Amino acid sequence: MRHPTDGTLRRLLDEPDGVADADRDHIAHCPACQEGLNVARDDAAFAATVLHADAEVDAEADVDQAWTRFSTRAPAGRATVLSRWRSRLRSPVVAIAGAAVLVTGAGAAAAADWLQIFQAERVAPVTAPQAELAKIPELDEFGDLVITDEISVRRAQGVAAAQEASGLTLPAVAELPRGVGGEPSYFVVAKAGGTFTFRADTTARTAAKAGATAPPVPPGLDGSRFRLSAGPGLAAVWASDHEIPALVVARITAPSVYSAGVPFTTVRDYLTSLTFIPDDVAAQLRGFSGEGTLPLFSAVEEKQTSVTDVGGHPATLVQSGSMVGVVWVADGVVNAVAGSLTADEVLSVARELR
Amino acid sequence: MNVVQENVLVGRGVAVGSDPPVRADLEQVFRAAYPRVVAVAARVLGSRDEAEDVAQEVFLAFGRSTVPAGEATGWLSVAAAHTALNHLRSGRRRTAREENATGETVAPDIADAVVTRDERRRVREALARLPRRQAVALVLRHSGLSYAEVAAALDLSPGSVGTIVRRAESALRKELNRHAPSD
Repeated sequence: MRHPTDGTLRRLLDEPDGVADADRDHIAHCPACQEGLNVARDDAAFAATVLHADAEVDAEADVDQAWTRFSTRAPAGRATVLSRWRSRLRSPVVAIAGAAVLVTGAGAAAAADWLQIFQAERVAPVTAPQAELAKIPELDEFGDLVITDEISVRRAQGVAAAQEASGLTLPAVAELPRGVGGEPSYFVVAKAGGTFTFRADTTARTAAKAGATAPPVPPGLDGSRFRLSAGPGLAAVWASDHEIPALVVARITAPSVYSAGVPFTTVRDYLTSLTFIPDDVAAQLRGFSGEGTLPLFSAVEEKQTSVTDVGGHPATLVQSGSMVGVVWVADGVVNAVAGSLTADEVLSVARELR
Repeated sequence: MNVVQENVLVGRGVAVGSDPPVRADLEQVFRAAYPRVVAVAARVLGSRDEAEDVAQEVFLAFGRSTVPAGEATGWLSVAAAHTALNHLRSGRRRTAREENATGETVAPDIADAVVTRDERRRVREALARLPRRQAVALVLRHSGLSYAEVAAALDLSPGSVGTIVRRAESALRKELNRHAPSD
């Protein structure tokens, strides 16, 4: 008989009844399994010790007091808790990314988050939502958005560590542009995700605020849940003397949406039928195939975008202030090269990655 | 590149929206599940105060969700673990709280208090470095959820819960040994 798995050994410590008799018998008479069991027991005891080390952790909760706090919380307090996501969602790029993720099945979230990094460094501040784009509601105005894994970036010790953590390879830059030098820093972007629950009543209220009436919701759509996911990813960043990076080469697993039942096209078609979504935007959304399309919206007043290609893949060149970036999708991975460079420099770095 | 890191570490596991409807069973679920939610968050954060803050966030999100009542405890436990782990990763709030707490506490032995706080910090850092799924499974299991409950909450087979918990415990120990103080 094969040795039971480590997981079975572990369960034997906690829930012996959950382990099959044959496995229990084997473990009882197998020196190798006994040794494994001892190691598992030591590790479990160690974890229990460090996780239970704080006496206050196990103090009894005062449920009455907690409920009073919860049920009487000041609206301002809640606004503080929510403000960070609010502020992110207020960015038109991110807001539209949210809507685009929903309606296309593969959206601009990753690219938007990279753009957000640049915005955060005041390279391309979004000063005011532009008229048409501003009419698109945020994703949470169609239902409940719960972020379970926020976008997070951590530094990696080197390219090998970054690649191992992200499961992606980072192509090498053939020749650094003039003025860019030194060793890059490497970063790992953790997998991000959340769930979105479409709600007819929320959508109706959003429509009413826009002075419109939402059409009847197709059967099964109300309350349907979608899981949004993007990443992991990695990046090499060459610093400059300013806050703006001199050059960034990044790859991130493309965003995807998992439906809990309702076909994706149902949501897309319903949302694009809402009259308060600008016609030209709705038409673009309807035009997406729903697979692998990466829509990059930007306000024309703030960013110049143009269509190009990298390695035979359609690419979008974004120019914003002193920052230029090119974004393309290949094999389910969003690629970006950006920096305080010229468009020609960015494109030549992108096209000569190896 | 601190600016980049700082600005992308801004998320929180909470729902957003304006003037949401509140589900009718909220108080009942709150009263039944609150101790469990705080226990899970406290296991991650090592701080009751901050765990109670996380619980408030988690119930806020739950109140606006359509999670079936039968799945509420599992959903809330997972949300508490994720939200608490998110807090660990952002770190700033925790540091401020710890400093406040230190100022308020009269420690009988300052050296012991410093050592304890440093150990707590190392445990939290190690937890934050674990793969997220392992960290969540570990915390749920050590918060008293059965294998069946962890499996249901994380959409796993009960058989694989042991495997993930085992890996997490082994990784946690290695992480803490690797980053053990040299003195």
